[in-house]
Amino acid sequence: MLPGPCRMAPSTFVTERLSRLARPGQEFVECNIVTTSPSAPIVATGLVRHFGSGDSLVRAVDGVDLQVEAGEIFGFLGPNGAGKSTTVRVLTTLLKPSAGSATVAGFDVATQADKVRRAIGVALQDAAIDPLMTGRELLDLQSVLYGIPKSVATKRGPELLERVGLTAAADRRVGTYSGGMRRRLDLALSLVHEPSVLFLDEPTTGLDPMSRLTLWEEVRRLNREGTTVLLTTQYLEEADQLADRIAIIDHGKIVRQGVPRDLKAQVGSPTLFIDVDGEHVDMARGILERFGDLRPTSEGKLGVGLAQGAEAVASVIRTLDEAGVHVRHLELNEPSLDDVFAEATGYRLEGADQ
Amino acid sequence: MSSGSAILHTAVLTRRSVRGRLRQPAALTPSFVFPLFFAALGSASFSRIADRPDFAAIAPSFLNYAVAGAIVQGVLFASTSAAGDLATDIEQGFFERLLASPVTRTSILLGRLGSAMVVAVVQVTIFLAIFLAFGARIETGVIGFIGLVVAGALLALAMSGLMSGLAIKSGSPEVVQGAFPMVFALMFLSSAFFPRQYMTGWYQDVATWNPMSHVVEGMQGFMNQPLNVDQFLRAWLIPLGIALAAIAFGLRSLNKRLAAL
Repeated sequence: MLPGPCRMAPSTFVTERLSRLARPGQEFVECNIVTTSPSAPIVATGLVRHFGSGDSLVRAVDGVDLQVEAGEIFGFLGPNGAGKSTTVRVLTTLLKPSAGSATVAGFDVATQADKVRRAIGVALQDAAIDPLMTGRELLDLQSVLYGIPKSVATKRGPELLERVGLTAAADRRVGTYSGGMRRRLDLALSLVHEPSVLFLDEPTTGLDPMSRLTLWEEVRRLNREGTTVLLTTQYLEEADQLADRIAIIDHGKIVRQGVPRDLKAQVGSPTLFIDVDGEHVDMARGILERFGDLRPTSEGKLGVGLAQGAEAVASVIRTLDEAGVHVRHLELNEPSLDDVFAEATGYRLEGADQ
Repeated sequence: MSSGSAILHTAVLTRRSVRGRLRQPAALTPSFVFPLFFAALGSASFSRIADRPDFAAIAPSFLNYAVAGAIVQGVLFASTSAAGDLATDIEQGFFERLLASPVTRTSILLGRLGSAMVVAVVQVTIFLAIFLAFGARIETGVIGFIGLVVAGALLALAMSGLMSGLAIKSGSPEVVQGAFPMVFALMFLSSAFFPRQYMTGWYQDVATWNPMSHVVEGMQGFMNQPLNVDQFLRAWLIPLGIALAAIAFGLRSLNKRLAAL
């Protein structure tokens, strides 16, 4: 059985994973079923991008299937070199696909690149902004390149500067901006033409926590206003906080895709930790066993993996209370995206706690 | 992409590039200071050449003779620096930012060439003003002045085209700067600093074959001779021909880079 997506219809996509029965003697093989929504702003099917040739061939993107629905924030998660940025570069027409296809805002990235460029906003990693120009000059330049009438541009430029908090620095050269200011200007530049789809490539890498929170808030605000956002990140928390759905990419392949909550649920049940009086420990342990497998804990605590999920917490507490067990402290630990990542790739993401 | 968009994109990218040049005085100043310094040095060192009876047929003074060489030197210097900025754009990612926008691709190159021409026009004007203030005179008057300014602009187009092609091909400012000494050598092997008539042996042969000599002599003609067609042919058409070839090289480099994406 060949690995990779299993296409059932030319233009469909699926967010759920199914098991498919193979031929007799073969094992079940998991695959993605591709169903299509023509209106989806980002659709990639079997997308491949390789560099080099022969022995030095590197498949940076190796058969990526994804679909980002209108109005969602889609997180593209993976370590450095996993293929996130290469995928974004293909989707934003900066690289041509080696194989497969992709449409963005309804246009083919390979054959309708100019239409794609007009429809999307792009803020690339490292915020390559001319340090000799001022923020206002760059916005003016961007407006002309996108064909925005001067009357509109003269109104929108200051609005965008205000929006990203750079009004006071608008006439300063970008070379004097801090990293956070550059990222915010980069975001403003990507919004000049009011794109319906926004690509943010590691928008907060290298930023301090405050700048990161500011940028998150702006991304959420844009999304509330209807912009579809695809953001790449190597920060699990960022994906967890911002994304409606995520895809985990490793070695050029998408290894997990879905709603963060569902992905976490697939990894395992949440663990409930409780702290009870010493004389009630045995009784409490017996009760907890009814709700799932006991988990190792530090001394004096009890832990149980809730087979029915977090919804069972109320029942556990009620049962303990009815049995006269006094719970001094309780804590519910959901599986994290780091657990999902580790389960999917076999290793943990460096700096996962950031 | 319409031609109107291409012109507009080229214009705004030219403006951006000119601003960038003006905001790097450390990069722009040498292209003004060194040619004037060499002209002053040459005038002091070789002024006695002007005492030769046959020098009057070449120029009324060595200062007058040195003007064209200084202009060519300054323009070549500044144009190389402009192409270096394009390589910096590639290296630092601004080139990619432009590619992510619907900019007309050729405008990325033409904007740089346009800025080199604008800077050259300003540079030649300033140089002429300084030389005139120190006693030089333009034999062909206002037409000669315009002839020199246009020649400077065309030379800037040619040089920035060649160097921009190299910048796009290599993506490295160091490679562009590294190529400049070859141009400088070409200039020293021409009649930019010393009359070809007074050279001897292989040096004179090289200078005679060197197209730079003919460009310089065309420009010297505007300064020192009565107006004639030969001046326009040499000072305008040679740089124009090189410029067309250079632009073709630049566009080919750009297309190859884009095709390799």
